[in-house]
Amino acid sequence: MPELIIRPRTLKELWKILPTISAKRKYLAGGTDLVTAANAGFDACDAWVDISGLKELQSVKETKTSVLIGAGVRIAGLEAWGAVRRWLPVLTAAIPHFASPSLRNMATVGGNAANASPCADAVCALCAERAEVILELKGKKRRLPLSALFKGPKQTGIKKDELITAFEVPKWPHTGAYLKLGPRAYFGISKAAVALAIELDGDKIKSASVALASVAPVPLMAVKTAGCITGRILSPETARAAAALVKTEVSPITDARSDADYRREMCGVLLERALLGCEERLKAEG
Amino acid sequence: MKKISGGNFKLKCLVNGRKINREIEPGRTLLEFIREDLGLKGTKEGCGEGECGACLALVDGKAVNSCLMAAAQLQGGELVTIEGLKGRDGGLHPLQKTFMEEGAVQCGFCIPGVIIAAEALLRKNPAATVDDIKMELTGNICRCTGYEKIIGAVKKAESLM
Repeated sequence: MPELIIRPRTLKELWKILPTISAKRKYLAGGTDLVTAANAGFDACDAWVDISGLKELQSVKETKTSVLIGAGVRIAGLEAWGAVRRWLPVLTAAIPHFASPSLRNMATVGGNAANASPCADAVCALCAERAEVILELKGKKRRLPLSALFKGPKQTGIKKDELITAFEVPKWPHTGAYLKLGPRAYFGISKAAVALAIELDGDKIKSASVALASVAPVPLMAVKTAGCITGRILSPETARAAAALVKTEVSPITDARSDADYRREMCGVLLERALLGCEERLKAEG
Repeated sequence: MKKISGGNFKLKCLVNGRKINREIEPGRTLLEFIREDLGLKGTKEGCGEGECGACLALVDGKAVNSCLMAAAQLQGGELVTIEGLKGRDGGLHPLQKTFMEEGAVQCGFCIPGVIIAAEALLRKNPAATVDDIKMELTGNICRCTGYEKIIGAVKKAESLM
């Protein structure tokens, strides 16, 4: 456990305070990953920089072309924002699959990305929504596609002291799904999860993104599969073709949670179901 | 530049309606603060990693896993533990009554956390359905009663709240 906890109230104060504390420091937000590691003795740091009091990170803003989600927004808080419900159907669908209600009250969107677990549900959904991540270091901002942030399990391209401040998601008229297979219906770490976002022109898929969790070292964008279904009719045939192709894009492992072969197979099943679900909705809407 | 050294954190908060001023260790979890510093033993530690829900407490009206929250993060906030729940007459809380009536408790270890989760649910949704109750309790593990009686007790409490 750390010997110091610092609670800045603004980003300006944060950048001022950082040089004054031990270099072995970590940002603390929701605590659901960091404190778990600390409780288990895996977190060797001298100081926690608690960013949960930074109001600048705690809101969702809407621009003409995008939705900006503050990194400090709690998972349970997402649904309260009309812009999230209106423009981010995949993220909205992922919320009930994210841990438990009490953990959703704690965990932040930024923390879900910073922790860089391949199973991160909010991250997987945001990748399918085509989010960019915005990082800041001493007032200097940079941005990159969210999916490009991850380098491996628990590894990111985040620099020392750099802070995720927001996610910017373009507004595009899409529908989609978030399907997760875990040890039980809710509150389990996924064996595999699929986030699908598609823009339709009638029954034709005009544009698509497919992201997967727990089946690669990082949250995975299935670029070939998304390309394959783009321009095709949303149909059972398209769903089958996508299911076959996505299995060639993933690289799951066998671990305590599942087997590599089973996970690979389930990626196909989940994506086919996701596409068929969209097709059913389209038909129902007539 | 001179480094800020460690030292205790001065925590000011409201616990079960009472103002508290305490110096705590910086790495103290909220659960350690509740059980060891305040001596409120109703909140339990099960897994210490957010899986079991035995340590749930209400922070600013929301259920949190107190084993995963830094106590310092409670600064200026309001904490309610199982000891802080009361009925309108100052006696047992409706959930405590219905849990007894329905036989929803066996060993009892998980029950403070379950009741906190149920209280958080009924505060935001006083007419919760059985499905709502099941969803809210996904983070609470009970290895005795099998959940049916727990869900029944929460449902029954709605009319008494």
